[in-house]
Amino acid sequence: MRLTDWQLAFEQHLLSETPVANSGFAATLLGGPTLDVDTGLAIYHNAYISRLQDVLRHDFSAILYWLGDDEFAALTEAYVRRYPSAHYSLRWLGERFPTFILEHLVAEQGVPLAELARLEWAFTLAFDAPQGEPLTLHDMASLAPEDWPGLQVTLAPSVQQVFCRFNTVAIWRASKDESDFPHSQALDPVQICLVWRHQNVCHYRSLEPAEICALAGMVTTGWRFSELCAELAVTYAEGAPLQAVTWLKQWVQDGLLERRAP
Amino acid sequence: MAMSLPFLGYGLGLRNEYYEQILEQSPAVDWFEVISENYLVQGGKALYYLDAIAERYPLVMHGVSLSIGGPHALDTDYLKQIRQLAERIQPAWVSDHLCWSRGSAHQLHDLLPLPYTEESLYHVAARVRQVQDVLERPLVLENVSSYVRSKADEFTEWEFLNALAHLSGCQLLLDVNNVYVSSRNHGFDAWTFIRNLPPQSIRQLHLAGHMDYGDYVVDTHDHPVCDPVWDLYQQTLEHLGPVSTLLERDDHFPPFEELLTELSKARELGAMALARRSLCA
Ligand SMILES: [Fe+2]
Repeated sequence: MRLTDWQLAFEQHLLSETPVANSGFAATLLGGPTLDVDTGLAIYHNAYISRLQDVLRHDFSAILYWLGDDEFAALTEAYVRRYPSAHYSLRWLGERFPTFILEHLVAEQGVPLAELARLEWAFTLAFDAPQGEPLTLHDMASLAPEDWPGLQVTLAPSVQQVFCRFNTVAIWRASKDESDFPHSQALDPVQICLVWRHQNVCHYRSLEPAEICALAGMVTTGWRFSELCAELAVTYAEGAPLQAVTWLKQWVQDGLLERRAP
Repeated sequence: MAMSLPFLGYGLGLRNEYYEQILEQSPAVDWFEVISENYLVQGGKALYYLDAIAERYPLVMHGVSLSIGGPHALDTDYLKQIRQLAERIQPAWVSDHLCWSRGSAHQLHDLLPLPYTEESLYHVAARVRQVQDVLERPLVLENVSSYVRSKADEFTEWEFLNALAHLSGCQLLLDVNNVYVSSRNHGFDAWTFIRNLPPQSIRQLHLAGHMDYGDYVVDTHDHPVCDPVWDLYQQTLEHLGPVSTLLERDDHFPPFEELLTELSKARELGAMALARRSLCA
């Protein structure tokens, strides 16, 4: 048997659902004095699946908390059989897990669970995203008054936006606190939860619709600060500049923004 | 001779569980080994601590996904990133495993054994040279634990390592625990394995724990080093002279002090072995 064919057979064994290898492949192997070939192959088979499940247990601990050990083990085994790892780093193993949950489970269970998985994945993305150059309050203080109206910003590289149609953040929080689980509930209106890293610590915060619109206007539409004030005047009238400054200060303090080159 | 290679002393694996303690307490560890893949990221806490620790301690890079014996083409993007990380932290050397960890289509994330045949030998040797060309330094390869072996074997594992070092110029990371684990599983003599390796190629040693199931042994890296492995380690140092030694722990992380105590044991046993060596010389 050529080396590549033998490796292919070995790979097939690891990827198959049962720890017992096909007899053709097993016949190419030798055991030891007290370790037979089938046991040896089962060691590899178990190690393969349990190593991957360990990674997912770590990256999706709230899903684990929600489902419990057995259901989580079944779901993650089905996941890695369906989507074997494609990246050399186990860091990316869970990338398709939220999508898989939607494909694999009935919608009633799958939709809120996938949302929770997306929130947990957002934390992993924020954790090791590039640092970028987030604006600081010090930067803002040294901004000349005439530069304020034209100020434009983007999101810092670590900022992730998770669209929440359910009380996913409360569920996630309960899993971290190991407290009682709230029932899954649809939210009205929906929320955006921001997840980001600031000074090497991950943070999260849910935004109300008014703040979402203001932030999106700045970072996505590309409003200048003066345009933000103008937009807010519709709702806040003469209080608009104060509201704009309050939000901007909060965003900068949180480390959410980078300056967009003028 | 082994002594002409830099002797870093006694090191520990760098794990995120211990970052803060290392920076705050500057423990008496001579060097740290880092899992390369953990730092092939664009930012965040891991890189922050890595840079800080690199300023204070010598580092060695240890990879797990090169898949030097794999059936696929070498991942040039991965190699480029390894090279960049090496430029960033200036490790004393760069190692991975003599194994394959990626199949035809998928990453398997395990250190899978190779058949010790001429076909494997030439396949691996050519790829080692390719890696060394990119990294512009010798590649250091570690022997892995195994639970099956191929009927097609034409060499013993130590003959294969010898031939590979000779053909490719790679150096060796001798994992004493892995030798012990495989010797029990396959029924060979561990000392015969070690005694027959080319001493001048051995750059580093690994010490680790395992799970002993009686009929077989599984390399779990989650236990303290066991007595037969300590014995083998002393015998190895007495034979080789000083070789940089690393205590590995990949799971069930104990308080850092426990690892330091185990590292002191390695230091003491190592010093005794080296003293015996100089007496008998
Ligand atoms: Fe090792």
